[in-house]
Amino acid sequence: MEEILCIEQLTKDYGRLRAVDHLDLLVEKGNIFGILGPNGSGKTTTLSVIMGLLPAGSGRFSWFGGLNGSEVNRRIGSLIEIPYFYPYLTLYQNLQLVARIREVDEADITRVLGITNLLIRKHSRFDTLSLGMKQRMGLASVLLGDPEVLVLDEPTNGLDPEGIAEVRKIIMEEGERGKTILLASHILDEVEKVCTHVAVLKMGKLIASGRVEELLGGESLVVVECERCNELREALIREEMVSHTEIRAGMLHLILRAPHTPADLNAFAHKKGFMLSRLEPRKKSLEDQFLELVR
Amino acid sequence: MKKLCSIEWIKTWNYVPFRVIILLHFVLFFLVVLLLSRVQISIPGFSTRSLFSFPHIWETFSWIASWFNLLLAILMIVLAGNEFSYGTYRQQVMNGLSRMELLQGKARVILWIALYAVGLVLISSLIFGLIYTRDLTFGLMIENMQRLLVYFVQTTAYMALALLITLIIRNNAVSILGFIFYFALIEPVLRRFFPREARSYFPVRVISHLTPVPRVLSITADESLMNNAGDNQMDLTVIGIGSPELPQWLSLSLAVVYIVLFIVCSGLVLNKRNL
Repeated sequence: MEEILCIEQLTKDYGRLRAVDHLDLLVEKGNIFGILGPNGSGKTTTLSVIMGLLPAGSGRFSWFGGLNGSEVNRRIGSLIEIPYFYPYLTLYQNLQLVARIREVDEADITRVLGITNLLIRKHSRFDTLSLGMKQRMGLASVLLGDPEVLVLDEPTNGLDPEGIAEVRKIIMEEGERGKTILLASHILDEVEKVCTHVAVLKMGKLIASGRVEELLGGESLVVVECERCNELREALIREEMVSHTEIRAGMLHLILRAPHTPADLNAFAHKKGFMLSRLEPRKKSLEDQFLELVR
Repeated sequence: MKKLCSIEWIKTWNYVPFRVIILLHFVLFFLVVLLLSRVQISIPGFSTRSLFSFPHIWETFSWIASWFNLLLAILMIVLAGNEFSYGTYRQQVMNGLSRMELLQGKARVILWIALYAVGLVLISSLIFGLIYTRDLTFGLMIENMQRLLVYFVQTTAYMALALLITLIIRNNAVSILGFIFYFALIEPVLRRFFPREARSYFPVRVISHLTPVPRVLSITADESLMNNAGDNQMDLTVIGIGSPELPQWLSLSLAVVYIVLFIVCSGLVLNKRNL
């Protein structure tokens, strides 16, 4: 598969503080790659270095299999920390600047403002926006020109639940369109729902990396008791909700496939007319898994 | 290039303080010029009227305009420094602009401002010159017009220095103070440590002496001793206080070299540091 970003032994220090410690990472086309880690683990620093904002201490990285230079950034839409725009310019003018830098047609401005629900504020000055709107403006500028790669640093920062859901929706839609997305977050839930791959950082070091199901899904073992056990089992297998089933002592032991939850199982059973008399999830909580990894 | 121009134009023209400061500069210059033109001193052998006629008017107006160079330098500091406080240098690099292009954009703005300033001097000199000159001939009008070029270089040099200082300090207020301190205090003091001949080569000295007090005035003024461009040996070097005055072509070339140096250093500074 096509290599989008390759990071080799990247190290970055701020004085005596080592923010990123010999990081290796490979992102391929179509991946929705989450970079997960607690605050201060080096996520933002890593993204800043690969976007050319900070010179790397040592190590290398390359985009698109070896291209370098500032034009590379034009194929990437990135939002790192908070969005920075000219406060005295309107949204439209700010996006005009972005469009000119990326050599994109100005007509696209209306499209991205539409996606992020900012069209009515098109001619408002940037400094008149609320925090949530500013964040959405940042997202709009990322989408401008329909870049093939998105690099997002905590894109749901400061958003209300509706905003968070919208951002998630946009990310998933872009992912479905085949875009490669690099997403840094400390919200496990978000990464698990949206990403295909994940890398976990702690204090600048990479401590785990791989596909999401492998690393975070864990095993969702559920024990179910129900009258028509076999039929339920059949239905679940057909529906591909389970990766393993076993009937033991009259009870159905299942391993659910991610991202299905026991609640999904309950809903499904009810829909199909099965009444469950016992539904007992036996799995580690998401937090436990994450904390275990990070410890 | 066109792309960079349109980007800087949107940023600069829409910034209200920019328009205000340019207007202020324009108004101040005109007011001063108008006021001075009302002052009529006639001493045997000299009158202020001759300051305002060709060919001396080029020199006079360049000199008056140079008083306001600080204002333009401050404008440049603000324009370049704002991008640090807004964080927009970062954003532009993220969007795909190289650091060299950031610098080129600001250099372009310097050129525009310098062109405006020269245009101002040109037009006002033409107007006042035409009014005040008796016995006008075309030859008389364009004599000494190279003073405009000299003024252009001077303004550009000040702004280039201001840009370099801003890129180093990254803070509007401190940069303004830094700039003022440098040319009012730091360089003059530094110069004292060097032998007399070397002092004439320091940047601020070179640049500020590009538009000395007009010679016509200096016959009567005390500055004659310091500014007499070389043909009269009665300057302070002889007395032992000042440092030698460089011939104009040398000053001009040196100033251009300094402009290039400032821009190159700006590029180095911009490339090496975190944004």
